[in-house]
Amino acid sequence: MSEIFFFLLLGLGMGSLYAMLGAGLVVVYKGSGVINFAHGALAMYGMFTFDTAWNRGEFYFPWRDFLPSHDVNIPVRITLASDGSWPMVPSIILALVVAAVLGLAVHFLVFKPLRNAAPLGKVVASLGVALYLSSVALLNFGNAFPIPKSIVPSDPIHNFLGLGRTYPSNTLWAIGFAVVMGLGVWCLYRFTTFGLATRAAAGNEKGAVLLGYSPQFLAAVNWVIASVLATAMAIVVGPLQGPITPMGLTALIVPALAAALIGGLRSIPIAVAGGFALGAVRTLLDIKKQDWFDGPLLWLQDGISQSVPLLVIVAVLFLRGHSLPIRGSVEEKRLPLSPQPTRMLQHAAVWIVMVALLANFWQNAGLRTVFAGALQTTLVFSIIMLSMVVLTGYIGQISLAQMSLCGMAAFMMSRMMADGLPRGSNLVPVGGPNFPWPLAALVGVIVAVLVGLLLGLPALRIRGVQLAVVTIAAAIAIQSIYLENDELTKLRAGVPAFIKTPTLVGIDIGARSGRFQNERPAFAIFLVVVLALVAYAVSNIRRTGTGRRFLAVRANERAAAAAGINVARTKLLAFGISAAIAGIGGVMLAFKQVEVSSANFPYLASLAVLAFAYLAGITSVNGGIVGGFLVAGALIPVGGNYLLSDANLEAYAVLFGGLGLVVTAIIHPSGIAPFFAGAWRVMGNWVCRMTPGAVTLRDGYGGQRRRELSVVLLAMWVGAALFVYNATFIEPMHWRIPLTMLLLWIATVIAATSGRYGPFSPNFAGARDEWASWFRRYGAWAGVGYVLGWLIWPLRVDTYSKLYMPLLGAGLALFAQMLYMQTRSGEPHDEALTDAEAHADELEFEEVD
Amino acid sequence: MDERTPTLHIENLTTGYAGVPVVRGIDLDVYEGEVVSLLGPNGAGKTTTLITVSGLLPTLGGSVQLFGQQADSRSPHKNARLGLAHVAEDRSLFFDLTVAENLRLGLTGNKPDRDAGMDLAVEFFPALGPLMGRIAGLLSGGEQQMLAVARALVSQPKLLLIDEMSLGLAPIIVERMLPTVRDIADRTGCAVLLVEQHIHMALGISDRAYVMNHGEMVLSGDAADLAGRRDLLEASYLGEAAL
Amino acid sequence: MALLEAHGVTVSYGGLHANDQVDLECEKGTLVGLIGPNGAGKTTFIDGITGFTPIAAGRVTFDGQDLEGLTPDRRAHLGMSRTFQSLELFEDLTVRDNLFAAAERPKWHSFLRDIIQPGANERQYVTQVEWAMELLDLADHADALPADISHGQRKLVGVARTLAARPRLVLLDEPAAGLDTAESQHLGQQMRGLLDEDISVFLIDHDMGLVLSVCDYIYVLDFGRIIASGTPTEVRNDPIVIQAYLGEEAGEAQARDAEAVRGLTRDGGSSDG
Repeated sequence: MSEIFFFLLLGLGMGSLYAMLGAGLVVVYKGSGVINFAHGALAMYGMFTFDTAWNRGEFYFPWRDFLPSHDVNIPVRITLASDGSWPMVPSIILALVVAAVLGLAVHFLVFKPLRNAAPLGKVVASLGVALYLSSVALLNFGNAFPIPKSIVPSDPIHNFLGLGRTYPSNTLWAIGFAVVMGLGVWCLYRFTTFGLATRAAAGNEKGAVLLGYSPQFLAAVNWVIASVLATAMAIVVGPLQGPITPMGLTALIVPALAAALIGGLRSIPIAVAGGFALGAVRTLLDIKKQDWFDGPLLWLQDGISQSVPLLVIVAVLFLRGHSLPIRGSVEEKRLPLSPQPTRMLQHAAVWIVMVALLANFWQNAGLRTVFAGALQTTLVFSIIMLSMVVLTGYIGQISLAQMSLCGMAAFMMSRMMADGLPRGSNLVPVGGPNFPWPLAALVGVIVAVLVGLLLGLPALRIRGVQLAVVTIAAAIAIQSIYLENDELTKLRAGVPAFIKTPTLVGIDIGARSGRFQNERPAFAIFLVVVLALVAYAVSNIRRTGTGRRFLAVRANERAAAAAGINVARTKLLAFGISAAIAGIGGVMLAFKQVEVSSANFPYLASLAVLAFAYLAGITSVNGGIVGGFLVAGALIPVGGNYLLSDANLEAYAVLFGGLGLVVTAIIHPSGIAPFFAGAWRVMGNWVCRMTPGAVTLRDGYGGQRRRELSVVLLAMWVGAALFVYNATFIEPMHWRIPLTMLLLWIATVIAATSGRYGPFSPNFAGARDEWASWFRRYGAWAGVGYVLGWLIWPLRVDTYSKLYMPLLGAGLALFAQMLYMQTRSGEPHDEALTDAEAHADELEFEEVD
Repeated sequence: MDERTPTLHIENLTTGYAGVPVVRGIDLDVYEGEVVSLLGPNGAGKTTTLITVSGLLPTLGGSVQLFGQQADSRSPHKNARLGLAHVAEDRSLFFDLTVAENLRLGLTGNKPDRDAGMDLAVEFFPALGPLMGRIAGLLSGGEQQMLAVARALVSQPKLLLIDEMSLGLAPIIVERMLPTVRDIADRTGCAVLLVEQHIHMALGISDRAYVMNHGEMVLSGDAADLAGRRDLLEASYLGEAAL
Repeated sequence: MALLEAHGVTVSYGGLHANDQVDLECEKGTLVGLIGPNGAGKTTFIDGITGFTPIAAGRVTFDGQDLEGLTPDRRAHLGMSRTFQSLELFEDLTVRDNLFAAAERPKWHSFLRDIIQPGANERQYVTQVEWAMELLDLADHADALPADISHGQRKLVGVARTLAARPRLVLLDEPAAGLDTAESQHLGQQMRGLLDEDISVFLIDHDMGLVLSVCDYIYVLDFGRIIASGTPTEVRNDPIVIQAYLGEEAGEAQARDAEAVRGLTRDGGSSDG
């Protein structure tokens, strides 16, 4: 008994950190109504600032210069002491100042502009901040994680309290600090006018405004208090838990959220007490799990202490139900509209053909083989993103556990196809029913659906932000109870699970063959077909009654119920469908990886998935697909990396993701995809009007022979693409593109003059005027971009960069101009836009270059 | 009709929600020490007018001038600091705080000002004295309303907006509270704009009154004159169809 | 037996009776109005009837079926649908889709058919949705988003959405608020038209002109209690009603007398309806 008591006391050390972070969450929530998922990250950055100043004599600004080879460099690092160590007290002060500035910056740059945003927008923005800070920290402070020195005495106290054991004295200091700081904050909110005003504004913002208090000022001060407290506590407690990592400290948000929820997001003393209790219980379980969880409970041994926060959070939320305080504001912005998908089958056909071609071309393309893997990553993540589109975009629920669902499906599939034979790196074979892959995959998806439905249960009573809290805790619980649990997965530590090669009527459609890695075109085609089917299903949901009910629930649960919609069942259905899609994504990811381990499905990846889906446009199918292009390892970062070989863009994917997420949440909540839709349309129009003859085809596209014309255009386009890549007899390569354009135009004119699609009117004069006006309007931008690209092309060493860097520059400049025009007017800038909308997709023309 | 600078001057004001006008082109003035009633059936736009004056809602057209200067709708708290107090329709009390804490948040200025403000509150609403330590959410409807007015009063405002003081209160309580409003105006020189559904009680304590319907000003004049024109009032309230 | 019957309905918010012993009936084929000053408890009553607010005491039956314990969506399925004062349209759906969302009665497996065969589930609801749009002259705006149409039309969409499910009773919460006089009169005619379609109407509104001109029977609510009821002419001339609307003085003495008399009759157990 005294042993248990001692371990509980020992756990108060970690508990003090949970307590302070929990109190900080309460402070921020009271001050600004934001549940700050970045709170752990704020503490982390301050802690690292302190540690590098004190132990390395360096200071890093919270940003990066991502093109460091340029002559113009943004200052990132300041050397504080040349002998590699700065005194402790200035280091602490520096860290606290950094924490305060970060707190202020987060408030003024992120949450003040978002004060009227939908709750989802705020969650997403705080996730963006967390992703940004943790990836900047990873880049700035490096991978060599220090075990921080303790700033308080850490001598052991022998025979502590007569319990006969040795107690570290720095734990005692940490507890003392937490208690004192907790009391201080409590007094601040109890007795000062500032504290009263904060509590008043939390209860009734309008009342506070009418009495002359500025809610934004109150919020800013509260952000500073919370950020400084968190950093101070991390500095004191940090050394207790061994080496510090950006991810580890960022993840402290979960127990901190549990502590804050115990305090009902309003009581600081209860949150502090809850934090202490949580720390004590977790430490106790960590130490005693081997004794307590044995025999029939053995499977719980690994995950139990990590799951405590989930249990606490679910219990608290269920007990309190909707009685948690929800801060209303005067006017609340809504989630962006969810557009109706159109012409899905045609899009799908184009995509499938394009992927098939690209996968083939990249198969043996020297340096560019890296794209073959990136293509597969893109497709897999597009599928996973679509699960977010259903859940968040359609029905407005948040899940931060999608990657965990993927992991469940992947692991379950692996288990179902296991046959007990050793192969590959599986030195310890796992036994199993040896199902064929479709059956095993089906079992995996079904398990994901069941877990997803379980995750959806809390959504029946709680909504929005609180659901995000539950799911992030659930993600960690799934990871530790199942994915990392040797007892359940039967994998020895570190050994991945084996995945059989999928075959279709005897044809190998797996990702790898004996000779190559990750580049079999057959698998890319398999992926894109699955993606097309999923995208088709998701867009059908949007177009039919199921989607109407989802959107109705998203718009207004009360009104939905009044209209006879069973809100609970509708939400569960959405969770189920979303989990099924995530499961399919997980299964495909497993096939791509050939063998899977828990490292493929870290819970932080779920945050990144939500981040990129939101960034791309979470309310539309297009957004989901575009989101797949953005994740680390997908085509856009890999392509950028390839083009700017010194920039190491891959490492910046998450950083840009976080930053882009915050910016998107603030200035353009509907994401990138709608912009692309508009830009495609505008570009399609240019091409049509500037190409004599093309107008005939465009007009014919709305006519009776549309299907036939689609096939003709598709064939032309495929032919052009084939030509570009296969006409190796034309060297140098950059001659092929203009030549292809010429051939394409000839084909266009032939198709147009056949007279089947309308009267042929080449109208050369009109086209000439179009060219002239194009140059007038866009020439300067394109020219400047071209010159800039030409100036920096020597960055690249390969032969073609002299060609494509200027083109890329011109393209980026045009993109920037469109973005500028669109943010100014809300629509892509094009005079003939209304005309263009009648013929929305001339994509056969524009995607060639 | 008056040479002084009005405490509140509304000119051709159009306002509403999400760009949809609810109040269209109204004019209104309130002078120092005056009690003015703003009357009209529900949905007429009275509350909308008040929250536009205090800056919670941006104007769609026209202007609102407080104490001779343009009202600020970007930072509404600044209007409060100029000397505007608004008792909102929902009272906007801080239910988690005690009566004393609620009042304390209304105080402004230095120590003597704050003491004077507190004295004023207790003077006008002696019933609040014994309730100081009570949590505001636990007060009865009438006590809450007293607290809301008292909280507005402790800042010693130059202009007091009171929205539907009688909402959900028994008439007997309203009968007792309205004269206090008259008292406040007479003794502190504060200008009062009162939205009230008990027309006759309101007219009884007002100097002048305006009547709105369907977002437009339909009647205005001396309170005593209007009180005598029952037919006109009924018509503007019950609609033409009922006449 | 009346279509909707409420007996002794009491709804409390924190000890305060927002509705106190409300007795009310709505006969099939009639248009019944409920009026009262701001804060009288009218919306609370609709919330109680439709299951959005728990009823502390009393009994509500719809077409003879006791509604106790039924969720709002179950009640809607029985044939009773409502509008909201603040409209609460589905802003992300077009007008037509707003109506479809309310009209459809999906089974648990409908989503599978939606995915595989889009459009198939809709077919059986097309007539009733078209009918509701025709009835309220919304056909021209079928593909518009609610944000893009006028306030008056948005009001009509709210009404049309309740009609799309072909209910037997619609409860309209201030459908005329914010409409100008002409629009509100037109709405009144449309509501009378519903009676011919075999839909009974229960109307809450502040616009006395509208209520007095279209209703068959009117209840007056003040401080959570029914203080008067009768035909429009009776209510118009009831001094208690005038007092409730204009405040004290207006025939104060008569009002008190009448109140006393009415109190006696109610205690005597006679029903106003």
